[in-house]
Amino acid sequence: MPDLAALGQEKSNLIKALQEQQKEEGYISDQAIKDISREFDMAPVEVEGVVSFYTQFKRIKPGKYKIQVCDGTACHIIGSKLVLNWAKDHLGIAEGETDEEGLFSLDAVACLGCCSLAPVISINGKVYGDLTRKKLLKILEDYRAREEEV
Amino acid sequence: MSQIKVTIDGQTLNAEEGQTILQVARENQIHIPSLCFDNRVSQNTSCFVCIVQDAESGQWMPSCSSQVQDGMKINSSTPEVEDMRKTALDLILSEHSGDCEAPCTLACPAHAKVEEYVRAGREGNHFEALKIIKERIPFPMSIGRVCPRFCEQDCRRNVKDQPVAINDFKRLAADLYYDEYLEDMEDLTGEKAAIIGAGPAGLGAAYFLRRAGIASDVYEKRAEPGGMLRYGIPEYRLPKDILEKELAHFEKMGGITINCNQELGQDIELEELKNNYDAVIMAVGCWQPSSMRTEGEELAWGGIDYLEKLASQNFEMEDPGETIVVGGGNTAMDCVRSSLRLTEEQVHCYYRRTAKQMPAEEYEYQEALEEGANFEFLTQPISLRKEGDKLVLKCIRMELGEPDASGRRRPIPVDDSEFEVKADTVIAAIGQKTIAPEGVPTNDWGDVEVKEDNCRVEDNLFAAGDCVSGPATIVEAVAGARRVANGVQAYLKDDTYKPPYLINVSRGHWQSVSEDELVYLQEPDESERVEQRHIDLDKRKQTFEEVSLTFTKDEVELEGKRCFECSCTAREDCQLKEHSEELGADPEAFSGEKIDHGYNVEHPEIVMDRGKCIKCGICIKICNEVVNEYLLGFKNRGYNTKIDTAFGQPLPVDCEECGECLEACPVGALDWKVKKNEEILKKLAEEK
Amino acid sequence: MINRIKIGMASCGVAAGAREVKDKIAEVAPEEKIVEVGCIGHCYAEPIVEIETDEGSIFYQDVEPDEEFINRMLELEDFSRFTPNPEREKWEKKFVTELSGKIDPVSLEEYRSRGGYQGLEKALEMEPGEVVEEVKTSYLRGRGGGGFPAGMKWSFLAAKEEEDKVIICNADEGDPGAFMDRTVMESIPHQMLEGMLIAAYATGANRLFIYCRAEYPLAVRNLNTAISQIEEAGLNKIGGEDIKITVKEGAGAFVCGEETALIHSLEGKRGTPRYRPPYPTDKGYKGRPSMINNVETFANVPLIIRLGGEEYAEIGTENSTGTKLFALAGDLEYSGLVEVPMGISIGDVIYGIGGAEEGSIKAVQIGGPSGGCIPEEYFDTPIDYDSLNELGAIMGSGGLIAISKGRCMVETARYFLDFTAKESCGKCTFCRIGTKRMLETLERVTGGEGTAEDVELLSELGPKIIKGSLCGLGQTAPNPVLTTLKYFKNEYLEHVEEKHCPALECDNLVEIEIDQETCIECGQCIKNCPVNVISDDFVIDNQDCTRCNSCIEVCPVDAIARVRKGGKVNVAN
Ligand SMILES: Cc1cc2nc3c(=O)[nH]c(=O)nc-3n(C[C@H](O)[C@H](O)[C@H](O)COP(=O)(O)O)c2cc1C
Ligand code: SF4
Ligand code: SF4
Ligand code: SF4
Ligand code: SF4
Ligand code: SF4
Ligand code: FES
Ligand code: FES
Ligand code: FES
Repeated sequence: MPDLAALGQEKSNLIKALQEQQKEEGYISDQAIKDISREFDMAPVEVEGVVSFYTQFKRIKPGKYKIQVCDGTACHIIGSKLVLNWAKDHLGIAEGETDEEGLFSLDAVACLGCCSLAPVISINGKVYGDLTRKKLLKILEDYRAREEEV
Repeated sequence: MSQIKVTIDGQTLNAEEGQTILQVARENQIHIPSLCFDNRVSQNTSCFVCIVQDAESGQWMPSCSSQVQDGMKINSSTPEVEDMRKTALDLILSEHSGDCEAPCTLACPAHAKVEEYVRAGREGNHFEALKIIKERIPFPMSIGRVCPRFCEQDCRRNVKDQPVAINDFKRLAADLYYDEYLEDMEDLTGEKAAIIGAGPAGLGAAYFLRRAGIASDVYEKRAEPGGMLRYGIPEYRLPKDILEKELAHFEKMGGITINCNQELGQDIELEELKNNYDAVIMAVGCWQPSSMRTEGEELAWGGIDYLEKLASQNFEMEDPGETIVVGGGNTAMDCVRSSLRLTEEQVHCYYRRTAKQMPAEEYEYQEALEEGANFEFLTQPISLRKEGDKLVLKCIRMELGEPDASGRRRPIPVDDSEFEVKADTVIAAIGQKTIAPEGVPTNDWGDVEVKEDNCRVEDNLFAAGDCVSGPATIVEAVAGARRVANGVQAYLKDDTYKPPYLINVSRGHWQSVSEDELVYLQEPDESERVEQRHIDLDKRKQTFEEVSLTFTKDEVELEGKRCFECSCTAREDCQLKEHSEELGADPEAFSGEKIDHGYNVEHPEIVMDRGKCIKCGICIKICNEVVNEYLLGFKNRGYNTKIDTAFGQPLPVDCEECGECLEACPVGALDWKVKKNEEILKKLAEEK
Repeated sequence: MINRIKIGMASCGVAAGAREVKDKIAEVAPEEKIVEVGCIGHCYAEPIVEIETDEGSIFYQDVEPDEEFINRMLELEDFSRFTPNPEREKWEKKFVTELSGKIDPVSLEEYRSRGGYQGLEKALEMEPGEVVEEVKTSYLRGRGGGGFPAGMKWSFLAAKEEEDKVIICNADEGDPGAFMDRTVMESIPHQMLEGMLIAAYATGANRLFIYCRAEYPLAVRNLNTAISQIEEAGLNKIGGEDIKITVKEGAGAFVCGEETALIHSLEGKRGTPRYRPPYPTDKGYKGRPSMINNVETFANVPLIIRLGGEEYAEIGTENSTGTKLFALAGDLEYSGLVEVPMGISIGDVIYGIGGAEEGSIKAVQIGGPSGGCIPEEYFDTPIDYDSLNELGAIMGSGGLIAISKGRCMVETARYFLDFTAKESCGKCTFCRIGTKRMLETLERVTGGEGTAEDVELLSELGPKIIKGSLCGLGQTAPNPVLTTLKYFKNEYLEHVEEKHCPALECDNLVEIEIDQETCIECGQCIKNCPVNVISDDFVIDNQDCTRCNSCIEVCPVDAIARVRKGGKVNVAN
């Protein structure tokens, strides 16, 4: 659990606290909601309401590699829908899901800020641009291969 | 606070700075609908049903949240404003899922409050049940026996297994308390109607008029009253002493005189009646058997004629010998089963389509089979002739072709498949038609033409029942009777009757609902439907004794526990429904996805049905700002927003003591579980 | 002689591999001084390296993290040189972003050496009221979309007598295709912060927040670094008081760009808007008077004070002064960030700067999901607040997308509505349900199941959503649909009447076909089809084809194409 005391138990820091929490565990568990609401002296239902409002917060454990497919305008125009479908097909998961091994999770997001490289994805923050299906599958398989080596 | 002036709908009003438009309007009795406003809590500004328009700038604003300004001019009732409000409601309804009214009640042509009398029956209050039933059904003993049970066909319980045996609740309640019960009636006003035809529609109309204080003289051409109840439905389904009891009740009500042997055109004249009475209702039924359109058909009995003859002879008739009944409807079944009781010979039923396509009730077919009838499907008669003392019916086999206009596959003849059969009696029970009296306008089907909203033909002449609808059922006749009675009352008050605009949100027909989408107030009993008990089969084959037996009180109570209690707890005080009806909003105006957020009935007293939540936010704020708790909140956002408790847990048991949020919820999303019949009864009483 | 090596390390550069390049240079030439700079706006050429020599700078584009490449570059060989498109130079006006990509974003000295904080110093010598007047004179209008005159807003806050007043910089940048604010924050954070400090002095605010979009980690980092530098240098001491500046990260909600929602979010609540009035300047963060301005708005302020409002107002047009940043995207040769003077025509931006092929663009979408499309016939319209409003579009925050003739307008509208519908906060009826119903209707149309009534429904419901929504999100959400309906109704009608997508974009209305004449039977398509629906004799089973385009992409002879479903009409792209 992040150092909530440092945040001054000030309600306006709730989102910050949740962000810290997510950084640590990768998602916001029920237990985390209970702990944080106790710490901030808030009703759990209110904290849950905040968590579920913002797309950044995940309530299920994400995969080790978080794939974000950009569906910002520039990427969309160039074909991000196809990229998303390629990824879905290849991984066998839908948006917002994590695969069975817990390796990959998939999300569609708005502009990643690299429109000139569209279509773009990011995996754990690292951006890959100018994607084709081949390139995408290779990137994903490289991650998987690296994982299998370990 | 300084005083300012604002104008709403042309009315200039004094107001105080800081007040909202809605407050000012309400203080001045100007009606603005609202859903998400509650003056105990801070603004929600969610529903936009309170929207108004600035007459000068054209700016739209929610009146509950916009403060008045000096000199402001507001439009709150222009067509544009009402259209915006209606659209807001249309949209809210399009994401709403619930059942305002139970499917059974909606399915009942007479809109008898089914769920309520089922509840009364379950609780053993059969007198109360009868009272609820009789608000809509003048002949509960008869209909409790012969209704084809439209309500059960739509009963939600079908999703799980078999429908609740609804009709048997009526039958028991009526059998138990018919003699004691007398309905509330208005004092007679002195107005009087003439009713032509003492069948279910005519007598039904007399009943509803009498309850409203209008007397009537009923004219019947046959020797005894009852119409189809007497002459169409055989004794073994509806014993005539039951009918006598129903008729006796009419006598007890007073103000209704039945004159038999009075035939229109001979003993009475339409014009005369129109002149002598405040209103005339024609309810002459459908008594003309339809033609088989085959050579020699005059040698056959018309189905309805056969039944009429049988009834008029007190169900004693010469042995018809080997009998062929042509047709597959309820009249055909009545003919088959009556014949079976009159002869030791074979009784056949010939129908040109398949068993599945027979319009007759399934149970009638089954019971006819049990009683020994022989069915020949895909068989069409083509001619009839006499050979000696036998009749010879020539038929052809059929097969199913392409679907016709009704969507059923059309039977087409199979080449070279003609065959002949001999019989002593042939009955053509393929339908009936209306014989409209001379000079009365009719439609393409030959039925009497009436205005839809008030059942009026012309002048002070009204019509109802089979002669308007074509051959139908008793309960439909009774439903028509109520409509015509309303039409007459309105006519006598000199306004056209406009049926109130009512909306019904529905979770959908049970066929489109899966078991995990069901919502109930408490877990229903798992038991199977109570089976109807019958008299011995031998007796059924020999006599006209009534075949089925009335449920016992225990059976009814058991059966009642199977009911899901489908209707909405908020039905009587739902603001969404109220405003939607006021503004003509329509649950079907927009179609689209409805999200199933589920419901929670774990709390002993409280139901949270998220599908009904309109996201107004009142409950959250009441709980937080008024009660100083924080037990409710919104989750998710956008179209996925839902009301919930922490981790979806049921509300704490203590909430029972407070219940502020439930009381404040404008709809049935958060509500007490109880549904009280008293409220229904009160409302029914108010309607009159 | 190499003085310094500058590498563009804004998000665009990093994404293109600038970090690898930097590491490689450091490895190959450890003796060189490497500076990370921001974005110079030519994102399409990243990674870009600038080599400062005594004779001036030499730019390299598409730099590879490859020893040979780097050695050649350090030798100043003439290859892979970057020269900006000369057309572009003609139209662009680097003003607000003048320093972007030229200086180390997190070097206070460098910023100061280029005139940084002179605006603040000058302001502090004026009366606060004079500063407000100066901003009024400049007629700077809010760059966040609404275009409300900034000076006026400042005067509202200045007039408030409360002791605690708040200024919030709206850095939520929610338009899914825009990154102007990100570039400013990443590349010239001090300039924006200077603007905020000037505003604080002018209005008497004593607390500053920056509400920054969650996906901008580099912007947050640079801002925080810049803030500590400011604190260290005491630049935040205004009127004897240390003004606290805090960066708060959003958590992924477009609606939080709306002022009241933003305030709720800052307070740690669900980001739902509330009805205004009261406006934030009366009742904002924790009930205090609060003023919200956009990143770009603040970044203009130091220049206004330095130049004086009057001189500033010379740039642009009378009612729209200054410049505007745009994120260009779509069917263009050169996409990326541009800064242009107000009043430039749409055509000059997309053809002149964007380098689109003359006549290839049928419309631009301006203002992102809240904006609208503008068809070709209006391309000579000047880009200013009022002219755009007249066409049913809006200036918006700076997203500008060129849509070529080969794209479907219905699909474009559907895309934007899909975004706004998902981003609706869910509070009010018209927006929560209305946008969803419109979206479902559009999906029917693009899916080939639409009817003429559906098109009717869109044009009836759209205006009602605008009238009956609580906040700007719902009030603008129907714009993309209504403007495409206005200018491209024929495309809608073709979808519903002919079941035909003229651009062959809508999957349900097209089939994928292999032209047997052209096909050389290489088998690439068969190998690459993810759902194995291409037979050995090169026929596609369109029943199960997912329209993924993989085969089209891999076919070496372009034998595969999207064709009209049912018919074989090929459409020129
Ligand atoms: C749904 C919605 C999203 C918005 N998003 C942004 C945004 O991302 N950035 C921004 O500066 N303004 C945004 N705005 C506009 C702001 O509400 C506000 O008008 C602006 O920040 C004021 O600053 P300005 O006057 O400097 O433009 C948005 C408005 C709405 C209704
Ligand atoms: S909440 Fe109102 S509209 Fe909804 S089902 Fe109940 S009564 Fe009907
Ligand atoms: S379950 Fe009960 S309330 Fe529901 S339809 Fe059947 S009888 Fe009516
Ligand atoms: S449950 Fe709450 S939010 Fe939903 S309709 Fe009822 S009072 Fe409103
Ligand atoms: S218009 Fe949309 S985003 Fe704005 S308050 Fe209403 S529901 Fe929320
Ligand atoms: S478009 Fe995709 S799914 Fe369809 S045939 Fe080509 S590769 Fe296969
Ligand atoms: S739209 Fe994909 S990176 Fe900007
Ligand atoms: S918005 Fe005014 S009552 Fe709901
Ligand atoms: S359906 Fe209502 S009484 Fe039969």
